[in-house]
Amino acid sequence: MEIFRALATLAEPPAPEHARLVELLDLPGAPDGPGGVEYAELFLFQLYPYASVYLGDEGKLGGEARDRVAGFWRALGREPPPDPDHLAVLLALYADLCEQEHAERDPARRLLWRNSRQALLWEHLLSWLPPYLDKLAEIASPFYQAWGRLVQESLLTEASELGGLPQVPSSIREPSPLREMAVGDPAAFLDQILAPRRCGMILVRADLIRAASELDVPVRIGERRGVLETLFSQEPLGTLRWLEREALNSASRHRSWRERVGPVADFWAAQAEAAAATLASTVKTMDSLRR
Amino acid sequence: MVDLKRLNERLSAAKSEVEARGETFYPGPSRIHLAAFPPKERWDDWVELDSRSWPKRVEKRYMLVPTTCFNCESACGLLAYVDRDTLQIRKFEGNPEHPGSRGRNCAKGPATLNQITDPDRILHPLRREGPRGSGKWAPVSWDQALDDIAGRIRQAIQEGRPNEVMYHVGRPGEDGFTERVLAAWGVDGHNSHTNVCSSGARAGYHLWMGLDRPSPDHANAQVILLVSSHLEAGHYFNPHAQRILDGKHRGAKLIVLDTRLSNTATHADYWLAPWPGSEAAILLSFARHLIQGRTYNREFVRRWWNWGEYMQKVHPQVTPSFDNFEQLLDSLYAEYTFEFAAGESGVEARTLAEVAQVLSRAGTRLSTHTWRSASAGNLGGWQVARTLFLLNALMGAVATEGGTYPNAWNKFVPRPIHQPPHPKTWNELTWPAEYPLALNEMSFLLPHLLKDGRGKLAVYFTRVYNPVWTNPDGFSWIEVLTNEELVGLHVALTPTWSETAFFADYILPMGHASERHDLHSYEQYDGQWIGFRQPVMRAVRERGGGQVGDTRAVNPGEVWEENEFWIELSWRIDPDGSLGIRQYFESKERPGEKLGIEEYYRYIFENSVPGLTERAAAEGLAPLDYMRRYGAFEIRKQVGSVHEEVVPQAERDDLKIDEWGRAYTRTQPPANPNVVPIPPLEPDSDGRRRVGIEVDGKILRGFPTPSGRLEFYSRVLADWGWGEVAIPTYIRSHIHPANLIAGEMVLISTFRLPVQIHTRSANSKWLDEIAHTNPLWIHPVDARRVAVQSGDLLRVETEIGHFVVKAWVTEGIRPGVVACSHHMGRWKLTDLGQRQAMATVSLDHRGVAWQLQRKQGVHPYPSSDPDTLRIWWTDVGVHQNLTFPVHPDPISGQHCWHQAVRVRRADPGDRPGDIAVDTGKAREVYQKWLGFTRPAHRHSPDATRRPYWLLRPLRPVREAYRLKQPAPAAASPI
Repeated sequence: MEIFRALATLAEPPAPEHARLVELLDLPGAPDGPGGVEYAELFLFQLYPYASVYLGDEGKLGGEARDRVAGFWRALGREPPPDPDHLAVLLALYADLCEQEHAERDPARRLLWRNSRQALLWEHLLSWLPPYLDKLAEIASPFYQAWGRLVQESLLTEASELGGLPQVPSSIREPSPLREMAVGDPAAFLDQILAPRRCGMILVRADLIRAASELDVPVRIGERRGVLETLFSQEPLGTLRWLEREALNSASRHRSWRERVGPVADFWAAQAEAAAATLASTVKTMDSLRR
Repeated sequence: MVDLKRLNERLSAAKSEVEARGETFYPGPSRIHLAAFPPKERWDDWVELDSRSWPKRVEKRYMLVPTTCFNCESACGLLAYVDRDTLQIRKFEGNPEHPGSRGRNCAKGPATLNQITDPDRILHPLRREGPRGSGKWAPVSWDQALDDIAGRIRQAIQEGRPNEVMYHVGRPGEDGFTERVLAAWGVDGHNSHTNVCSSGARAGYHLWMGLDRPSPDHANAQVILLVSSHLEAGHYFNPHAQRILDGKHRGAKLIVLDTRLSNTATHADYWLAPWPGSEAAILLSFARHLIQGRTYNREFVRRWWNWGEYMQKVHPQVTPSFDNFEQLLDSLYAEYTFEFAAGESGVEARTLAEVAQVLSRAGTRLSTHTWRSASAGNLGGWQVARTLFLLNALMGAVATEGGTYPNAWNKFVPRPIHQPPHPKTWNELTWPAEYPLALNEMSFLLPHLLKDGRGKLAVYFTRVYNPVWTNPDGFSWIEVLTNEELVGLHVALTPTWSETAFFADYILPMGHASERHDLHSYEQYDGQWIGFRQPVMRAVRERGGGQVGDTRAVNPGEVWEENEFWIELSWRIDPDGSLGIRQYFESKERPGEKLGIEEYYRYIFENSVPGLTERAAAEGLAPLDYMRRYGAFEIRKQVGSVHEEVVPQAERDDLKIDEWGRAYTRTQPPANPNVVPIPPLEPDSDGRRRVGIEVDGKILRGFPTPSGRLEFYSRVLADWGWGEVAIPTYIRSHIHPANLIAGEMVLISTFRLPVQIHTRSANSKWLDEIAHTNPLWIHPVDARRVAVQSGDLLRVETEIGHFVVKAWVTEGIRPGVVACSHHMGRWKLTDLGQRQAMATVSLDHRGVAWQLQRKQGVHPYPSSDPDTLRIWWTDVGVHQNLTFPVHPDPISGQHCWHQAVRVRRADPGDRPGDIAVDTGKAREVYQKWLGFTRPAHRHSPDATRRPYWLLRPLRPVREAYRLKQPAPAAASPI
């Protein structure tokens, strides 16, 4: 499945060789030149393409979520690369597994390769890509939007050809609830907001700038945690209400995936709805304390 | 709906078509992480954003040219980023095509940029004005300097004084290049720094396997055992450290023996901090555990150890069966219990037992390494390497995946265009008869040997070498370097100012990593590679279609590359060819003309590197162009167990097998383009060549040792008077507690700082900013006793003087031991010199009483580099080595660095960096240690100066090995 290798390559910093791939894939326009402005904006500043960011409780690169992906590489008998959970690496691995399956003559071993491919698809790709690709469609440049659509279409085609979801991916079997804000300690609460798995939504820099504009609060553009804190310190209730709306909007977007990815969509929607409820009750508590 | 099937087919077809043309379809290796590199297809025109233009996005275009780092010995690959607009090198990064370093570098690699742009570097040849050491210099032309030097060398050779020409090397350049130059001149004039560095470890390894370096396969090990701080410093540390981490990621356990809490120790699963010098006792307790529990690899020991020879020579009354040997082995090491080792080392017996258990589970995947550390610190330190390798030999972890290989199997030295014959002379100034088993030249004794009247020097080259600063007893060096009777002409070949260069007659500027040619190959994993160092601007000029005749045309100032220098000098020594020298520096393509550097390397790459021609042709390149473009080539991967290779029938003409199973043949050795040094093996009495060893009925290659096997018992040691230490054993160090006087502590002075390398890295501003001083590590218990806190001044008194140093109170060192790092305490006498790391000092002496006092630390100064105005540090540490007398190990010849010292609060008038030394006492210590030797005159079994089998740089003809002089002073046992 060469298409996955080509899509993987396009998730790396732009190089002159990309032009040929873009043409072969009928993608519109081209990724920007060697400076990689659009690439850097999307993958380095807004939407980090690592499974661990979306599947880990902390919403950060690495940790247990990355170890789980690295474990998958080892289970395949491969040395995990330095970034085992990067989207590009996972897509390229998917292409490799397709090739290995097709090259295998022994039917039993062929089935094993097919099962590995299915496990990679659901456990480590489709478990987090629905909300990721939605956000990408929202913020990316036209080129990367088209790339994202092709990634989505290719993976979903694979999913349906492989016969759907064998079981709920282990990484999203258990919910990770958003914990209520402790009185006088908003910091830990705000940390959770930026962990997609906990609050069922992905908040990128662009979202927080939008929040600032909607709440009419000045912020310095910097790391997300700092921006969120600035918003909260100036407009606590307004910020929480804005987050609650975002969570509800996210939940309805996640639900729209239900037909295609079933329980994965349910998980993300449930997380977002639970987060919205927690945010609402936090607003209520804070409001009552104010009075 | 997109037709995915159609897209797939299009992609596959396009990929096949592109790859059929020999091009790459996808743009090289993944570039999403820090280990990403510019794909080699785009090295000619690589585009990055200019960081200085931020936040504007300005594109910068580079040409990427590979070369090899010239800081430590690892020879890691560098990529020079040459600005295509200005043709200046803007930065150095790693070369991903280099099989050893794999694109990764330590801090010293990128800091090459500082070295080439250092405002204080030497750019022109200089000749001294006034007395030697007076600090006055005048420019001189290369022609004048070359004619003067060549004239003196020619005269010495013509007058039968070849031993008065000496070349003394610090950082080696190309494997064997200068040895061949000296051989062509017919002088036994090679002198190295190795006996202040690695001779101890080399001796331990050499005696076991015939080859003097280990090549551990850390990446595939189950257990990694380091008697070193190898994750942060030392030889090959970058290539090895990354493989140690690979091994750890795969689940290997890391065991580190280091008295100090080094950065390496912090990464260990087991850190053992022994009393210095007790390391061999610990290693033998591990060996005993394996032996007593019969958990060693008995089959390997039976097949590959020379136990039969041991039994016949040492226990002739016992039937020489393996069962009997195993019983002897039990008793030989019975005394090395964990409790004994705990008593010697201070490490708890139960910890040793636990670590021994871990070791015993390694199987053949035990990688071990020591290089300097304990082997270089202690009397008998060579037994540290020997007892460490004993563990490999017991486990059968020798030349196995995850085990430790002999270096020569993982190294490739291509046969050069000319190979001159061995010199016919023997130089007593480098190979004195008292040290017949010394692995390398007794370099650090040179001042004493000259003072003894054993010879003198007409022309003495120091080449990227700084003995006044690096060696012990530096004032004795100054005494002989300023004596024009003993040293007629001192030529310092150096890229930077050094304490030794101040006492030269000529300073000739040599190039840094991007300004010189060299060819390297080092054992860094189980494979063989070559790395090519090249003058970067020469490669740039040639890629642009230009021609460069002489590298001075493209280097800064008049900086020359060394190979061209030696060729030119040799022609001037023998301009008409009448001395027989010139022929080795002539072109083969244009007979009678001077050999050019292009031809020299073209010959090697086209004739002596298997597979390179084919690989280059696949890219449409000639071999030399391939090396200029990529900088490295891997010749073989997974060389494997050479000793187990069956000798082919074609090599068995008139095969004879002797009583020890050694196989001899009349077949000439097959042509081998790899000329890596292998010790010569004696032919049989009929002149047949040794070809292998019979093991269980098969003729195998075996090891290049006298017995053909791994030598548990060294007959060489026994035959040359050292029978009591002929098997791996524990020698109590000169700083063993029993040898200390009340109140004395042990000073560890050899450890390195991860970002510095001897003296040359001092001209790297980035490295100097990170590390520029060397306070004395002292444990809180000792600090309380001496009543000092961090920052207070201490006086450290050695056998011959004292130095004044700041205290650093830390629990990272054992009580009773203090430590002071290498690299620091650089000094200069005037403003001339390196100004970022050298203090200005006064140097005075009355007779043998020497004093060095700091007049001024470093400070900001204006220069071509605005950063020199931003220097914020003043303290550059202390030059402790000046206060150390020479301690030559009587067997390996290694200087035993550890010092017995007294540490007390400094006197009121003391200033940091102050030094006082009595060189008269230094002479006494030299003579005392000379008394430990067993000279060849008394102990040689065959009236020769040295076992012919032992490796020796620049080996003379066999006839020169015969003893001629009467016996020197009497010897006494250790």
